[in-house]
Amino acid sequence: MLQEYIALAFILFFLGRLGWQLYKDQISKSQFLMWTLFWFIVGILIIYIHAIDSFTTKLGFSSSGIQLLFYIAVVLLFYWVLRLRLTIEKMSKEITELTRSQALANKNSNHN
Amino acid sequence: MKIFCVIPSWNQAHTLEKVVNDVSKFCDNIVIVDDGSTDQTKEVVKNLPAHFISHAINRGQGAALKTGTQFAKEYGADIVVHFDADGQFRAEDLQKIVAPIINNQAQIVFGSRFLDTTTKMPEFKKKFIMPLARFINKYVFRINLTDPQSGFRALGPLALQEIDWRQDRMAHCSEILVAAHRSGLTIAEVPITVIYHEFGQKIGGGLKILRDLFLSKLNN
Repeated sequence: MLQEYIALAFILFFLGRLGWQLYKDQISKSQFLMWTLFWFIVGILIIYIHAIDSFTTKLGFSSSGIQLLFYIAVVLLFYWVLRLRLTIEKMSKEITELTRSQALANKNSNHN
Repeated sequence: MKIFCVIPSWNQAHTLEKVVNDVSKFCDNIVIVDDGSTDQTKEVVKNLPAHFISHAINRGQGAALKTGTQFAKEYGADIVVHFDADGQFRAEDLQKIVAPIINNQAQIVFGSRFLDTTTKMPEFKKKFIMPLARFINKYVFRINLTDPQSGFRALGPLALQEIDWRQDRMAHCSEILVAAHRSGLTIAEVPITVIYHEFGQKIGGGLKILRDLFLSKLNN
């Protein structure tokens, strides 16, 4: 129970920090909304952690609910990293295309 | 047939002059693609008999070769030869690599370090890296050539029309091999001699090639 209170206190701290960053114009409104939603979902999951525990048992896992959440988080993180890599790769190709068209437009020749 | 030799160069000012002078005896046009060099490349090329294209930033060997090939096609090239700027290839082998295209025996020709007995390849590369690359080529891409990562190649008119590559870095070698096979082009291999000044592609480089091919597959 104490762990849940500590986790909720952390979430409240991060939510307060988000509010402060928005007030200071350090983040945009959309960023504020996205992170508020994120911490809100995390808060809900912590409040209902015992329900998640029994759900995990019903699914047949021997681990606790919090462990299941960690596994899901790791899978999601891997997926997001992959998506990020693909986006960077796409942008890198676009930079190459731009570099190429600029280079071909400025070509020099020493051939007679 | 109008032969263009495309030489991508990244910080190779010290070898570029000799390479260009040697190669100029065996082709009609030379295209140097400076891939964002920070050395004296721009000064060196001023006195060389070559077309010069410069990437503002470094984009990799595959990207530089594509820029040079695109330029050569626009200038009416019938055959485009890809050649390295580091002086590891022999200019005389250029005649050997274009011969099967001129004689209508092949549409694309790859130089092979394994068909030549004089190439002194580092042992680890010869006995571990290359067999592994050959294994991947054979069982993943269904390509059975003696040299799995040949950077010395000649593309004839049909190959210039059919083959395109998107890999900016070193994975272009595999991509061109695969594209040549999938296009149904007649492929030939000729022995070439490589003089190793340094080890070249290491295990990490090989893994980067696999990573690039994998990401490219997911992006398509």
